[in-house]
Amino acid sequence: MGKVIVITSGKGGVGKTTTTANLGAGLAASGQKVCLVDTDIGLRNLDVVLGLENRIVYDLLDVVEGNCRLRQALIKDKHFGEHLVLLPAAQTREKDAVNPGQMRELMERLKRDYDFVILDSPAGIEHGFKNAIAGADTAIVVTTPEISAVRDADRIIGLLEAAELYEPQLIINRVRPDMVRKGDMMDINDIDDILAISILGVVPDDQDIIVSTNRGETVVTDKRSRPGQAFRNIVRRLLGEEVPFMDLQQRKVMHWFKRILSGEAQ
Amino acid sequence: MSTELCRIKGTREGLVITISDAVQFSEVLSSLDRQLQASQSFFRGSSAKLYVEQGTLTEAQMDEIRSLIGEYGMRLNREPLTRPLPRPQVEQVMEESQEVREDNTLLVRRTIRSGQRLHYDGNVVVMGDVNAGAEVVCTGDILVLGALRGVAHAGAEGKIDATVFAFRLEPTQLRIAHVISRAPDEKLPQPSGPEIARVVENSIQLSVYNH
Repeated sequence: MGKVIVITSGKGGVGKTTTTANLGAGLAASGQKVCLVDTDIGLRNLDVVLGLENRIVYDLLDVVEGNCRLRQALIKDKHFGEHLVLLPAAQTREKDAVNPGQMRELMERLKRDYDFVILDSPAGIEHGFKNAIAGADTAIVVTTPEISAVRDADRIIGLLEAAELYEPQLIINRVRPDMVRKGDMMDINDIDDILAISILGVVPDDQDIIVSTNRGETVVTDKRSRPGQAFRNIVRRLLGEEVPFMDLQQRKVMHWFKRILSGEAQ
Repeated sequence: MSTELCRIKGTREGLVITISDAVQFSEVLSSLDRQLQASQSFFRGSSAKLYVEQGTLTEAQMDEIRSLIGEYGMRLNREPLTRPLPRPQVEQVMEESQEVREDNTLLVRRTIRSGQRLHYDGNVVVMGDVNAGAEVVCTGDILVLGALRGVAHAGAEGKIDATVFAFRLEPTQLRIAHVISRAPDEKLPQPSGPEIARVVENSIQLSVYNH
């Protein structure tokens, strides 16, 4: 019996979809059977991030409404085949076309065949969010080091607890060590102080992510990518390993060197 | 507020739902529903005892209450109360001493997060934080054994000598009775220890807590 994890944040644009795609690919690369579910009905994009958009025939609503069999709607990933499948969201329908009861039932079915079922939740706290968390066993909250994102994460943690999804874990995304060092960005301790839930990982900001996302690829398998390393660490933590947090300051020398080259060093 | 036919209170016996008159049962139910709705999911997971001041409830009526509070994630505790609750006569108490009953205190053993709102007729003690975006309103004092970053309103019904205490008092806004103050726009150095806020000459003053 697998585990259903919902990836949620409250605020939009903090990297839920990128996180879902990378954790999925990372777990699949570690030999797990993974099913990704896009619950953002009407505004799907997990398929785009994975580069699978052109293969969609059936979607989540078709499964729920019985227009197709579950297996027909699951799209195999380009790299991992059977080990990473996507159940896409319907693009032409509204979020209230499916209800939490139906989601719970669907998750029960997926759990039987996959080690991990990862749900990408829509932004917001309305109907779509309630659907996404309905069948979940645990939750991962994604935030960025911005006050508004942290505030929304706090709201979401409260709602998760009210829905009896206790002990959600936190991923802090898009951390820029140089800005933190200068005191221009909230640091991890500030966020930990406010949210007070266990931190699953810290992902540095990097242009690799934008490049790979636009190509429909994930960074988790890129050995040279720093965010890719951060996602690989998170994957190992999800599989029960103890992995120390990576040193985000590693680039200091490089950075200093760059500054000399650009003529701004003191 | 004391005209409600039904009240939910935290007491030494745990959560108690007091029904003042069992005869007007449908009004009791709608009053209970209204209050539970207002509390959002605050009581979720807790069990409550039932106390009827006048009249008795039939088994069917008990079932109705059980299913209603079940919708809000609560259970009914069948153990009887060991002693009757004192009927809080708010008007009378106010006249006598302008004081909220000392023992009327709600203990919250968790962090109150953004979007959560706690209303209570009495004092409130939070063993956790009150985060920015959260709101605690009560008629008595507020004690936060953690950081208070949200909005706190003590003495909400006019008790001007109410206080707000926190290990880290960094609220978005503080209100005591009718006096309102907000955090300054510029960043202040973090308080080094517990602080207490009270009204002095019609404005809220913060001072380091030492006893």
